Amino acid sequence: MSFAERFVEADGFEIRYLEAGNGPPLVCFHGAGGPRIGRAHELLAASHRVIAFEIPGFGGSPANERSSSLRELAQTMLRAVEEIGIERFSLWGISIGGKLALWLAVQDPDRLDALVLAAPAAIITNPRPLPPPEQLLSMVHAHPERRLDTAPVAPEVDAKQRALVGRVIGPPRDAELEDLMSRLEVPTLVLFGTEDRLTPPELGRHYREILPSCHFLIVYDAAHAVYDDRPEAFAAIVADFVERRAEFVMRRESGLLYP
Amino acid sequence: MFSIVPYAGPRSGHGWPAPADGYSTEAAQASMERALAQFELADELGFDWVTVAEHHYSPASLTPNPMVMAAAVAQRVKRAKIALLGSNIPIQNPVRVAEEFAMLDTLTGGRLVAGMLRGTSNEYATYGINPSESRERFMEALELIVRAWTEPQPFGWLGRYYEYRTISIWPRPVQAPHPPIFMSISSPEAAEFAAAKRINGGLAVTTLDRARESVRVYRQAAGTHGWEPSPEQILYRIAVHVAADDAQARDDWAPIAAAQAHSGGLGLSRANPAADDAATRAGYYGRDTPRQRSRLHAGGDIDERIETAQLMLGSPESVLGQAARLRRELGVGILELIFIAPSSDQARRSLELFGTDVLPRMREL
Repeated sequence: MSFAERFVEADGFEIRYLEAGNGPPLVCFHGAGGPRIGRAHELLAASHRVIAFEIPGFGGSPANERSSSLRELAQTMLRAVEEIGIERFSLWGISIGGKLALWLAVQDPDRLDALVLAAPAAIITNPRPLPPPEQLLSMVHAHPERRLDTAPVAPEVDAKQRALVGRVIGPPRDAELEDLMSRLEVPTLVLFGTEDRLTPPELGRHYREILPSCHFLIVYDAAHAVYDDRPEAFAAIVADFVERRAEFVMRRESGLLYP
Repeated sequence: MFSIVPYAGPRSGHGWPAPADGYSTEAAQASMERALAQFELADELGFDWVTVAEHHYSPASLTPNPMVMAAAVAQRVKRAKIALLGSNIPIQNPVRVAEEFAMLDTLTGGRLVAGMLRGTSNEYATYGINPSESRERFMEALELIVRAWTEPQPFGWLGRYYEYRTISIWPRPVQAPHPPIFMSISSPEAAEFAAAKRINGGLAVTTLDRARESVRVYRQAAGTHGWEPSPEQILYRIAVHVAADDAQARDDWAPIAAAQAHSGGLGLSRANPAADDAATRAGYYGRDTPRQRSRLHAGGDIDERIETAQLMLGSPESVLGQAARLRRELGVGILELIFIAPSSDQARRSLELFGTDVLPRMREL
């Protein structure tokens, strides 16, 4: 599965995105490490039109000194989705991209079919500084060998991304966001890995308590990068959830062994 | 005090799975009642805990579901803890195991000891689980069970061997954060895993030398994870028979020694050699296969069994000395005793004698 590189303009940003697959649109917001296509993206592109954005200020894009908050950045990202010509979609956010996805969802819930938050960084009960780049890989992955793209983030890119994250991430417990979350009806799947040391799986219960339509899933043998550590499992459950939402609790696979 | 709850009655066939030809329903009921009475007596004598286990398809044990037996035991044993060693979690539905353990902890007011084991090799033929996946299933199931006990919100589990879309067990365990867990630390893989997860260690069907090596690996691995197991975190299961004096105890035991010599002393694992050989080839015993399998063939005569800590036998004084040796050499704080005697009367007298003349002094070791 190869992803095509495309660009779209929104709020004066030239925004790069990678796209593959056909089917219901699934938009992806990456984490603080920047944009990266993993095995889970490829697997999901078998059943969905996957659109993975490079959020302005990350990766190869120029430094973003304009977006003042995730709330504002979420507006920019929604306009980018609209510019691509997509009205309704499912949204998958990773880590800080999960918090960005939540900000989009609470502002424009009618645009979303389903929300998927992979190790989201929207609720942090025990704040710790982001580890330095050389420690990040081993902290983020339980299985670094399963990661497709192993190129380290260049120091200047890392510095640019960290500066942006530090400016827009907001407080570890954001009362305003949590109040909006408590009224968000969009079906939401929240996933945390058992080996996640940045956002431990115990955080999942807070999302389950606050969000009215939340399904909390613990991913065994996965760290913060749940989608890289367990791509087959992650892609299968996400595909099923965005298709069936709350009905996904009921299995569809036959257990019949022989006719 | 441990009872495998053996079937004491007529039978015709041997091997595993054992055919039910000649099976007596009356004998089975009497066998269960005898075990329940023995547990009750142990409770009255002041034993700290009583234990049931899981074994399938064999007159060696009438408790294929130890949860059911433990619920019955809970009606009779009012003070002692009730241990299950185990549930054989890799062949079970782990959420069901978490639910049943939580029920038992509630029924007993927080007296449950939750043993989690892999079972003997033949167990994998029972419900059609591939023995090569035993250890990975064990590790995942254990983590899932603990999560099911402790996670206050409904959650799903996306595992490697288990997947549940939504879990929220009722009742919840009484003990906080959850009942104590024991697992086998006989193999180095198990000892290292238990140490990494700070799980209490159990030793059974073993000998002093083999146990010494298991405990060494366990302690060393615990050290690398920054903790040290206390004596109460290491259990040793051993057969015992106490009589008024050493000579009497030996006389009592002679028919059992003869029967063991006749059968070769082989347990459930070797009752079906093809199944055990297949499990061995599948990697069931792990990286230390020869030593792990040799545990099943330890055997020996009475003196060898005492010397190698497969058996405690003799007067109260002698048995106390044998218990002291295990404490001294292995640092074990829990002895799980199987009272074996030719007759149930002898077993009861042995249990009483142990309770009155050995148990109070064991606490001072």
